[in-house]
Amino acid sequence: MEWDWNFAIKTLPVLGEGVLVTIQATVLGSVLALALGLVFALMRRSQNKLVSRPTSFFLEFIRGTPLLVQLYFLFFILPDVGILLSPLVAGVIGLGLHYATYTAEVYRAGIDNIPRGQWEASKAVNLTAPQTWQHIILPQAIPPMIPALANYIIAMFKETPLLSAITVLELMNQARSISNFHYRYLEPMTLVGVFFLLISIPSVYFLRRLERKYSPHYK
Amino acid sequence: MNLKGLFKKTALAVTAVAVTGFSHGVVGKANAEDTLEKLRAQGFARIAIANEPPWTEVTAGGEVTGAAPEVARAVLKRLGIKEVVASVSEYGAMIPGLQAGRFDLVAAGLFIKPERCNAVVFSEPDLCDAEAFAVKKGNPLGLTTYAELAAHASAKVGAPGGGTEERLALEAGVPRDRVVVVPDGQSGIKMLQDGRIDVYALPTLSLVDLLGKAQDEGLELITPIKGTPVYCAGAAFRKQDTSLRDAYDVALAEMKASGEFSELVSSFGFPGEAPNLTSREKLCGGPN
Repeated sequence: MEWDWNFAIKTLPVLGEGVLVTIQATVLGSVLALALGLVFALMRRSQNKLVSRPTSFFLEFIRGTPLLVQLYFLFFILPDVGILLSPLVAGVIGLGLHYATYTAEVYRAGIDNIPRGQWEASKAVNLTAPQTWQHIILPQAIPPMIPALANYIIAMFKETPLLSAITVLELMNQARSISNFHYRYLEPMTLVGVFFLLISIPSVYFLRRLERKYSPHYK
Repeated sequence: MNLKGLFKKTALAVTAVAVTGFSHGVVGKANAEDTLEKLRAQGFARIAIANEPPWTEVTAGGEVTGAAPEVARAVLKRLGIKEVVASVSEYGAMIPGLQAGRFDLVAAGLFIKPERCNAVVFSEPDLCDAEAFAVKKGNPLGLTTYAELAAHASAKVGAPGGGTEERLALEAGVPRDRVVVVPDGQSGIKMLQDGRIDVYALPTLSLVDLLGKAQDEGLELITPIKGTPVYCAGAAFRKQDTSLRDAYDVALAEMKASGEFSELVSSFGFPGEAPNLTSREKLCGGPN
């Protein structure tokens, strides 16, 4: 098997379209995971057992089942109850929901790390619960979480090829259809790897900088 | 002997084994004429199949059947190869998998087409079928050909990845984002029912089978599709395995002459005589 530069270059524009969809899915999925994760973390900490127990069960359930199965559920089974999501929307919800259960743990750890004294002091100066969260707890809790959250975003980015199973035309699916058309896997699959590296290596570098900035170990 | 020395020696031994293993592989490749002998000696051949009844089917019990594997099984038996070991694969992955030595032949009803003839060698044709569309009842978008699909502003067509229908759609000018790669027959029907695709394109017999299983009054079949010929499939072999292919052809011709072939394929609904009306050379557009 020999590397064919002409073929590789010819496939680049099509793979480029796939990269855009991959990035789109990652960005939208991350926003969803970060937002939902915080909601899940707060619900799990709720004093009301009717809120915290079901949330806790739901999180364990999502974390304990494979993402691929969840994607099939969103894509093939939800239409039976009248919810028809486009492939990309189903994919973003799948990724976002799955990773939200992990980011929820990061938020929880961050919040639990805030010393009790901060809560007591907030009460002492007569802050309401929303005010305490907004002005005292979250501003202190979030910075140390950032490296861990960014790590999950990179992990999610590398999981996007799973979306090809529900017909999203992302990078992996584009590469597969090129391979299927030309009976060659070498160039398209190599380029998929290169594209992922081109994005993930700078991300890892960026992540290191975040860690250095926020992690208590580097201070 | 200290631990480090032991480790080094083990590493050397492993490397030696690996090198012999590789060189053995190279020798194996050089003597490609021996493929038939090798298959006879090991008693089985590895075949690639899809899961698209009645062409190829893996039953709920895990048994491999369908017209293409059954023909291959019967022909190989005549060649003294008792068993077939099948792996399910996407159509587009079959030829690369064959070239990579993952299978000995493809028995999935791969249509004999010029671009495939460049990559592999085919047996004489064995299974023939016309192209078809499955659409919603009454064909709401009025799509009957690939050209109409391409001309429509938004109609989506589903087809198996690397299959003939995907290529037909792309070559007719349907843009990539409207050609949806459908993972399997059931998903295709489901996606058609849910309105994710407007047309599900497959050979006629495959759609007849799927629609029969779906029992859905809301779907209908359009066949044949104007502008597409009746395609004929054959077993596909690696380029260097021409002697295996030639032996396969001889056994296949014997089966055709004895009437056994016609009986076998018609039990799956395929025409027994149609493959004899054409030939590999015609379908490939030259010798293969």
